[in-house]
Amino acid sequence: MAALSDAGIGTPARSPALSIVLTGRNDDHGVDFRTRFFRTLRFNAEQLAAQGIAHEFVFVEWAPPPERPRLVDLVFDAVPGLEPGRCAWYVVDGRYHQALSLNPRLAYHEFIAKNVGIRRARGRFVLTSNCDVFLGRAVLDVFASGRLEPRLVYRAQRYDLKENVGEEGVAWADLEDPQNLARPPRALTLPFMAGATGDFLLVDRESLHQVRGFNEIYRAARFGIDRNFLVKAISSGLSIVDIGGPVYHVDHTGSYHLTADEYAGREHEAPWGNRGWHSRGVSYVNPPTWGLQHAPTQRVAPGQWHLDFSWDAVPPMVDLKGVVLPASRVGRPSPGRYTATRAPARSR
Amino acid sequence: MMPVGTASVPYLTIIATGRNDDFGGDFNGRFFRALHFNHRQLAAAGIAHEFVFVEWRPIDKRPLLASLLADEFAGLSSLALRSYVVDPEYHEAFSLNPRLQFQEFIAKNVGLRRARGEFVLTTNTDIYFSRGVIARLQEATLEPGVLYRAARHDLMSDLDVSDIDWDLLEDERNCEVVNGIRPPLFTNASGDFLLLDRQTSDRLRGFNEVYRVAKIHIDGNYCMKAYTSGVRIVDIGAPVYHVGRGTLHAMRGMYSGRPGDAPWGDVRWKSDVVYENGDGWGLGLAPERVIDRGTTFLAFDWQAVGPMVDLQRVVSPGAPQERAL
Amino acid sequence: MKRPPRILGLVRGSSYDALTEQHSKAEARAGRLAQQLEETKADSRGWKGKTEEATSALKKAQDAAATAQKQLRQAEKQRDEQSRNARKLKDESDKLRKLQEARAAELALLKQRLAESERDLIVAREQLMAIEVKLDILEGAANVLDGRTRDIATRRSGGVGTESGSAV
Repeated sequence: MAALSDAGIGTPARSPALSIVLTGRNDDHGVDFRTRFFRTLRFNAEQLAAQGIAHEFVFVEWAPPPERPRLVDLVFDAVPGLEPGRCAWYVVDGRYHQALSLNPRLAYHEFIAKNVGIRRARGRFVLTSNCDVFLGRAVLDVFASGRLEPRLVYRAQRYDLKENVGEEGVAWADLEDPQNLARPPRALTLPFMAGATGDFLLVDRESLHQVRGFNEIYRAARFGIDRNFLVKAISSGLSIVDIGGPVYHVDHTGSYHLTADEYAGREHEAPWGNRGWHSRGVSYVNPPTWGLQHAPTQRVAPGQWHLDFSWDAVPPMVDLKGVVLPASRVGRPSPGRYTATRAPARSR
Repeated sequence: MMPVGTASVPYLTIIATGRNDDFGGDFNGRFFRALHFNHRQLAAAGIAHEFVFVEWRPIDKRPLLASLLADEFAGLSSLALRSYVVDPEYHEAFSLNPRLQFQEFIAKNVGLRRARGEFVLTTNTDIYFSRGVIARLQEATLEPGVLYRAARHDLMSDLDVSDIDWDLLEDERNCEVVNGIRPPLFTNASGDFLLLDRQTSDRLRGFNEVYRVAKIHIDGNYCMKAYTSGVRIVDIGAPVYHVGRGTLHAMRGMYSGRPGDAPWGDVRWKSDVVYENGDGWGLGLAPERVIDRGTTFLAFDWQAVGPMVDLQRVVSPGAPQERAL
Repeated sequence: MKRPPRILGLVRGSSYDALTEQHSKAEARAGRLAQQLEETKADSRGWKGKTEEATSALKKAQDAAATAQKQLRQAEKQRDEQSRNARKLKDESDKLRKLQEARAAELALLKQRLAESERDLIVAREQLMAIEVKLDILEGAANVLDGRTRDIATRRSGGVGTESGSAV
């Protein structure tokens, strides 16, 4: 397996080895989303460049608020070291959000947005992560060494850092100082290695296309969709492994861990949907048009595209045949797990 | 690896029937998946085979499933994939029970009559062959005068089968029911796997076309026909797989109190009686014309439809020499 | 010579000698006989003793035989009783063994049924999960459509849109 290095890669048009898919918008999610995003992006971009890792960022700006500047228009000024040639930006028309919604409380279709990016990513390997996740040194070393293999889902432990860490600028010392840990990191345990799953899922592109990304059938919650991906992965014959090092996340107002209990007793109002749905037990089969395949796409600038709205790109509101039971495979762990629903299953 | 059979005289003809009616939900998708899988395995084992698909009573204003099949399997020659589209008028002409929407076994007879393989296998569109079945075919040691049966393993309904391989099929955790088969007749989901040499198949003249009031148990009735005709029935020793327990199982409870209303006919009919199909079995006298690559249309002609009622062709089981006629 | 007449009681000297010799012989013989008699008597006494001993021994033997026979009868009786007990024990043992076999078979059947029930439970739970997820989707869809329908209805009647937002 060749190293994911820049050596021999002449132009940005050549397929990169690694695509990093992120999603977000300029909506003050978690109060200071922009600041956190730019800070993280700056750090990651610098580290990837320093290690000579051939990469692209695939950013999906989902239903951006029309009254605010878009992130794509701010990012290159905010992160001067970011090479536009290494970035693909997709802005998705806001009407898709309503058209796809099965729960009006969900303010953001994070995983459908990520599917848009996954579908269009060019890297041999695709990492889906989040805008405030710092890549750790061991992770970068693996990228640089070319030890990635297909048919594996790579996971990384997430270390949660205290809120004020890196406020003045992020360095390795900030990330790696155990004193800065907000809580003991949660271990990754076989076979699923779940836990902050959405912050680090790295898979070869071919496998991601085979499984068709994240669950687009169940759109009544966004909680658990990343966990559900692991069920799909095992059901599809992929194996889940620990990449061998952590990623880092700085706590912030609005982050799930800090707000999870706010909706106790009124789960149906939570902005993440019903946490108790069977994300660990059922699997899915997305339609072949997953990731808004048929969205009319306009190139608005080099490396920037706009996905215009078309009902042709919107999957059926209800596609029950896409709800399937995960398949066991000889010699592999059971992919699904029954747990009684632990929250009221019905949203109001 | 020695190839088994040739393209012009394949070792095996596989006969299935259906139409573009979304029967059981995503009928076409299930059909194509199974066909791709089985074809791949047979080809890898060097077993020369042909698929004979019979489209019975095609739905008006919908693309022919035979056409969709030809598109999906464009890489197969017209020797390896042959389809027969039956004029919908035949369904009405044959009908003795308006609740039956699809004459599955007369359709299969159309395929049986036109098979070219040394051995013919009637099955269904969503059946996956096991490794053991493939291995047995590869050995080319099937005997004439023997009807081979295979137990059907039903995998769980709603299982994610978007990526089927042996590991998935063979994992017992995915299996909901094993439809066991026992001597002497080895019935129980028999319509999913009936394999015998073509000469014997021609001698038996296919499935019962005399009793058309039900389609349930027609397959078991064929086993009785074979048995009383001196054909030995054996378990081939390996299973076939099916996803889900089937539409019949799913709907059975709805008609338990009124079996005569069921869309498959009355389950209580005496399927132990035997039959003798006429010379024109399998629409043997239907005029044929080629309508597409590998696709033949059987046009309607009353000559190809036997008498509505032909009681002399209903015979009792028993030793062959004791049978009527 | 003529024999003296026996009427005088006179005997010849030769005869007397002969008689004396005969008498001596007879006495000797008598002595011998007496000795023999004594010996015989002694023998006889011995034999009597032996007889008595034998008789006693015989009696003892007879007694012993009687005792032995009695014991034998007792032993036979015990044997019979033990034989009956053994048969009884064997019967009970057979019964117990059959009971154990029956219970083992029952246990095996119960284990099999348990395994089948567990399997059925797993299948049922998995189907239940799929159904609940489908219900979630249907409920969500129904509510969204409800929202859109209300919007349309409201707009048609000239009112404001609902909180759930417009369809497009």
